[in-house]
Amino acid sequence: MEGKTIISFANVSANYGNGHDVLSDVSFNISSGSFYFLTGASGAGKTTLLRLIYQLHQPATGQIKLFGQECDSLSRNDISMLRHKMAIVFQEYSLISHMTVFENVALPLRVRGFPNDKIKKLVTKTLEWVGLGKYANAYPLELSGGQQQRVSVARAIIIQPSILLADEPTGNLDDENASRLMELFIQMNKVFGTTIILATHNQKLLENYHFPIIMVENHHVAFSGINNDSEPRKWKGPKPQSHNYFSQLSKQFEDIGNA
Amino acid sequence: MKKTPLVFSLVREQSIFMTIVISILTFLAVLAFGIALSIGGGVVRWNNQWDKYATVQITNLDNTNTVKKIFSANKDKIESVNEISKSEMEHMMQPWISNGAKLTDYLPQMFEVRVKNASDIQYLKEQISTKAKILTHASALKPSVSAGWKLVSITGFVLILILVSIGVCISYISRNIAMLHKHELEILNQVGATDSFISKQMQIIVAKISSLACFIGFVVASPILILILTTAHSARIGLLATLTLSNSAWLALFLLSVTIVIFSIYITKKTTIRILSGK
Repeated sequence: MEGKTIISFANVSANYGNGHDVLSDVSFNISSGSFYFLTGASGAGKTTLLRLIYQLHQPATGQIKLFGQECDSLSRNDISMLRHKMAIVFQEYSLISHMTVFENVALPLRVRGFPNDKIKKLVTKTLEWVGLGKYANAYPLELSGGQQQRVSVARAIIIQPSILLADEPTGNLDDENASRLMELFIQMNKVFGTTIILATHNQKLLENYHFPIIMVENHHVAFSGINNDSEPRKWKGPKPQSHNYFSQLSKQFEDIGNA
Repeated sequence: MKKTPLVFSLVREQSIFMTIVISILTFLAVLAFGIALSIGGGVVRWNNQWDKYATVQITNLDNTNTVKKIFSANKDKIESVNEISKSEMEHMMQPWISNGAKLTDYLPQMFEVRVKNASDIQYLKEQISTKAKILTHASALKPSVSAGWKLVSITGFVLILILVSIGVCISYISRNIAMLHKHELEILNQVGATDSFISKQMQIIVAKISSLACFIGFVVASPILILILTTAHSARIGLLATLTLSNSAWLALFLLSVTIVIFSIYITKKTTIRILSGK
């Protein structure tokens, strides 16, 4: 499933204006369709790396290429268009509290100008898939941390992104939901070739799923576990409920592609 | 299709505040523009009324017949010639003549001439100037007309000040809304919304509020303008009596309200895009 380079960093440094580099001289290439874990100590720069890829933060030096495009010459509009092909799941959910779960998940589709009937169909299916079908009319603050995390994931996956960046997406989930979420990400990676970078501290995940690891340490990144066997190991926690959802979701994703 | 902004929400107090501020400013703008238009229209009418009139004053009475002949020779240009009698002159000059009866022997011979076209006055002036003094009523009333134009300039300046105030207000309110929704703006950016898409969301809110506010401002200002004009007419004094608003002037006032709505939407767009690009 892996293909041409989709994310490329060349000697990238990043700071927050205080003179101290969070990341320094970072260079790597990530191929389309690959799945990486991103790990490192708290404050090591994992979130900064994800923000750099998502163009939420500009590098102090160096060059970033996304989909073969140099990012330093992009206008704000170009970056927005680039984000139409990417999605990000933040640790702190980034949900809009005065909008219902349904409206939060529908937001990326509304921004892209999808018609209402299509939005209703897609959001309903995606919410069902993340196990929040009956919470469509609830407000984020009425949900638990784990449920809010799933809303955030639903909002990210509904557009079938080419690149999915996830910052500790399983941080607030129990084993069963963490397992379901991992299965979803793996399915997206396998079926749609979505390039996924998943930041996590969860040792269990790192041990159970054999994906290559990007390690952020001392302001630099190092890669480990890159081999041809990218098949995930079986999840040892509770079994996911049903895999019918995958096929349903796949069908919906095809619909998005044809929209 | 009903247009509603995706993520922005105004709290009740903000909406009421914004509606009241724009209503008051629109009210003042319509009033200022209405007064400017009515004075401007009045001055133009006043000018048109008097620039066909002139007073011919003959101090050397030997020239009277020559002047009369000139009048006859230009019958095609002259609408009417009214000779002011000696008794009328004495009556007009009463405060200055008083009991000095001898002064009446020195009163000039005077005619009030009305020409067909304003341009004919100049021709007549050239013909008569060696024999008598000719003074157009328009030039005699110049100070009054000049005062009228000054009033138009002042109200025009007030109108500009009001429009600038509207711009500053809308810009401040838009900035406030955007700042209150900073979190929502970030999320919209994250899900791939372009700056123009986000500013459109803000514009929908401002368009709704300013449309209602401008309507209120116009509706309240109109009867007050009518009241001012009626009062001016009832004064029956020179320029004041000529103040009026034509149908096209009312249309211009309505268009001013529409312009304020469009202006508000434009300012909102500029402000939001400036905030989004971090300027």
